[in-house]
Amino acid sequence: MSSWFDYTLNGIIIGNIYALLAVGLALIFGVARLINFAHGSVYVVGAYAGFVAVTQFGTPLPLTILIAVAVGALLGLVIERFGLRPLQGYAHIAPLLATIGISFVLDQIMQLTFSPDPRALPSELLQQRFQVGSGTIGALDLLIAAIGLASAGLLYAFLRYTKLGWAVRATAQDRDAAQQMGVNVDAINRTVFAIASGLGALSGLLVGMYYNYIDPAMSFQATLKGVVAQVVGGVGNVPGAIAGSLLLGLVESYGIALFGTSYRNLFAFVLLVAVLVLKPNGLFASRRQTPPEPMTGTFIAPSKPIHIPYRILVALALVAALLPAVLPDPYVLQTLTNAWLYGLAGLSLTLIAGTVGLISLGHAALLAIGGYASALLSINLGVPIGLSILSAGLIAAAIGTLLVFPSFRLRGHYLSIATLAIGEIVSLVILNWESLTRGPIGISGIPPLSIFGIELDTDRSIYWFTLATLVVLAALQFRLLGSHLGRVLRAVRDDDIAARSYGIGLNRYKALAFAVGSFAAGISGGITSHLYSYINHETFNSQLSILALTIVILGGMGNVAGAILGSVLLVGLPEVFRIAAEYRVLIYGLVLLLLIRFRPQGLLGTV
Amino acid sequence: MPALHRRLLLGATAALIGLSAMPAGAQTGPAKGEPIYLGVSGPLTGPNAQYGAQWKQGFDLALDEINGAGGIKGRPLAYIFEDSQSDPRQSVAVAQKFVADKRIVAELGDFSSPASMAASPIYQRAKLVQFGFTNSHPDFTKGGDYMWSNSVSQADEQPLSAAFAVKRLGMKRIAVLHLNTDWGRTSKDIFVKAAKEDGAEIVATEGYMPDEKDFRSTIVRIRDAKPDGLMLISYYSDAALIARQLQQAGVKLPTVAASSVYSPKLLELGGDAVEGIFTASRYFPEDPRPQVRDFITRFKKKYAKEPDAFNAYAYDTMVLMAQVMRESGTDRKAIHDGLLKVKDVPSVIFGKATFDPNTRRVSGAMSVDLVVKNGRFTVYEGGPVVH
Repeated sequence: MSSWFDYTLNGIIIGNIYALLAVGLALIFGVARLINFAHGSVYVVGAYAGFVAVTQFGTPLPLTILIAVAVGALLGLVIERFGLRPLQGYAHIAPLLATIGISFVLDQIMQLTFSPDPRALPSELLQQRFQVGSGTIGALDLLIAAIGLASAGLLYAFLRYTKLGWAVRATAQDRDAAQQMGVNVDAINRTVFAIASGLGALSGLLVGMYYNYIDPAMSFQATLKGVVAQVVGGVGNVPGAIAGSLLLGLVESYGIALFGTSYRNLFAFVLLVAVLVLKPNGLFASRRQTPPEPMTGTFIAPSKPIHIPYRILVALALVAALLPAVLPDPYVLQTLTNAWLYGLAGLSLTLIAGTVGLISLGHAALLAIGGYASALLSINLGVPIGLSILSAGLIAAAIGTLLVFPSFRLRGHYLSIATLAIGEIVSLVILNWESLTRGPIGISGIPPLSIFGIELDTDRSIYWFTLATLVVLAALQFRLLGSHLGRVLRAVRDDDIAARSYGIGLNRYKALAFAVGSFAAGISGGITSHLYSYINHETFNSQLSILALTIVILGGMGNVAGAILGSVLLVGLPEVFRIAAEYRVLIYGLVLLLLIRFRPQGLLGTV
Repeated sequence: MPALHRRLLLGATAALIGLSAMPAGAQTGPAKGEPIYLGVSGPLTGPNAQYGAQWKQGFDLALDEINGAGGIKGRPLAYIFEDSQSDPRQSVAVAQKFVADKRIVAELGDFSSPASMAASPIYQRAKLVQFGFTNSHPDFTKGGDYMWSNSVSQADEQPLSAAFAVKRLGMKRIAVLHLNTDWGRTSKDIFVKAAKEDGAEIVATEGYMPDEKDFRSTIVRIRDAKPDGLMLISYYSDAALIARQLQQAGVKLPTVAASSVYSPKLLELGGDAVEGIFTASRYFPEDPRPQVRDFITRFKKKYAKEPDAFNAYAYDTMVLMAQVMRESGTDRKAIHDGLLKVKDVPSVIFGKATFDPNTRRVSGAMSVDLVVKNGRFTVYEGGPVVH
């Protein structure tokens, strides 16, 4: 029995750490209606600020904390002023993407400044430990808990009893109304970003000291866990975020206890999906609370798409088809082949996210399903390659739609988080279902691409094959968008209440669109697996999901030509910046930020 | 006399002969003229960037030596490092870039298996050697006859770790914590099999994700399995985290770690928690082999720190490629054929490296048992710790 006590204690300790992250994310979401993907980067900056202070200047702990908080708060102000304020008034999707861009830039700056090597972050006076149960807890654990509780208490008092706090809450409830009542919404936003980022930096410092370990790559995982914790507690709900964090910590710990370490995150994400589907406002939302996101039509801004005449599109396709004859450079062809494969993923996501408004953050899962399906069908059952790829599309459509179906009642950010979780779940199932997927060892010896028994073994033939697949699917999607069905799908996106009152069965149409979209993603994954000859659970990772979404937003939501253009740019730019070596991801992030700044509705506009 | 393996001593003598023989054909004085280029595909940015940075240090150190002694028949050897972020989508583009670049005579890398093996079909089609020097995945060299590797095969290393843990240290009930990646999983399977053959019982195996930082609950699970020893199949950063959390949880177990933890970073990150951890290494600071002495001295002089395993792999690989080119020429085909022919190249990792023509791998890595004592890696001279 004593082990259960230990598991509980460990769950609370790790939950404590998540809470520090989740509180900041919850604050920002509460006021700015934004999942701040740069929060993990602020956390890293805080950790390194503390590292420099301690190792270079030997600062005592209170001063180190003060420095980290100040650096974080300052960074929060800069992010708000230069990254997000210019995007005010645009659809919510633009700032979301901007935070992704900011996190690229910040992580890269940290890596260039401090080298990618992990560092020790010593904490001199916090090494005392107390015996509890059969384990011990340290002074640092208590300090983390105290700071978590104290900051939550202070925030509560601030929001409840100060004038500025009222203004923050008013802004959170109804931004426009608050502005009409004379609240300086910009100032509120600034304040909230400074507070939340200060907290984020502090958590980076404390967690770094806790593990005696910091590295610049730890930001993504921090953001992910923080987001899960705050959604479980109810987005934008500060006490809820703390409770959600503790719950998340406990579920992970019990998951390990019952099933083993490799199932840890599986439980975290299953919890998340369950909470979202059963109690979309979070476990700790009060009943009276209005759903924070009706936001019909505000998540994706309507805009006038740039109309490209059919003749030009056909001409462009022809140019693409003739390119290998003019420019037979295999490197260029490979880069474009990659772009066409991403283009397929982009087509898929632009239909799901853009046309129907289901912003998916777990799109890589569909490619993974497609990739594994085609690889396993061809290896285990000897299905011919062309047929296996086609089946991969169908299997991805079936499994993908089935997995997401329960989440169709969710909207906006909630659906995004649910898809993020489903994506992680798929990847973890692939990792753990060894009898089928060979677990982490992966599948090697996947036969090369061929159609009708003819092997495609030249760079040109592979290029033409992927291009042709893309063109066919893109043409079909064009037709779909112009049809009655396309208009119905857009109606669901723009105003689902109105759509429903016209007798449109929302879930059916969402499912239909999701299935059609997943088909293209499955095809993309299937082709990829034959090109690579080897895949494992890391081949289609969450970075790919983020990239797919970036492609879609950059091209213009729902815009078929935009998805392809976005894909060519996002695959091409990092290659173009190769001469910049270590700096190329930094430059890429900056270019991305500028594109969002000046074309928040996407390059070709929302369709 | 430290308790060295006999093979190590044999290797040392061989290396000595190898070293003295090497400069005979080469010119003295720095190399001049148009360089000969190797392509390197690896992570310089992204989550694995630290390993790419370590490769560079190893390569540069080897190149100083090679080019200082006349390069390849008078021409300097150089490399072009393309960042792939260890991402298969980028490593395939890099592969095409190298294949099309006629200056590139062979390719080194990539780091992770998905990135490396996704690019293999391209290198194989173009008949450009892909030399995966950190690719221990058992299927890597099965990608084709242009896939070569001098990475220490886990089939070689893990039985030695098992023998260390079971026969030498006397562990009978072992708990295994391993990275849940292709490398960690392969290693674990081989270790478990070998340890059982040596007569030990495996009481728990736990796989964890590479970005995991919290091991408290895993440790409780391991403690409850009542092992008398722990095996860590980890990199140095995770091993340090695990050791610290073991100490905090009050779990005191004799611990053996895979040779991948051999890095000064383990000592820095782990502090007094890694004291007493056993590991094996291909070389050690007081190693008498001249090749190793030279490597360590020059590394410390150039970078003001101790070299680690990844530095050594990169260094060894560059030395090996130089030898192949000196012997067999510098076009793509010649390098492929040269790898078949090359014999007994002096090596930090292997003592002397020769490829098995069937697997295109090198076997027989050096192994010396180490223990962390007073914050340093020292040769272990004791006997059983579990009775």
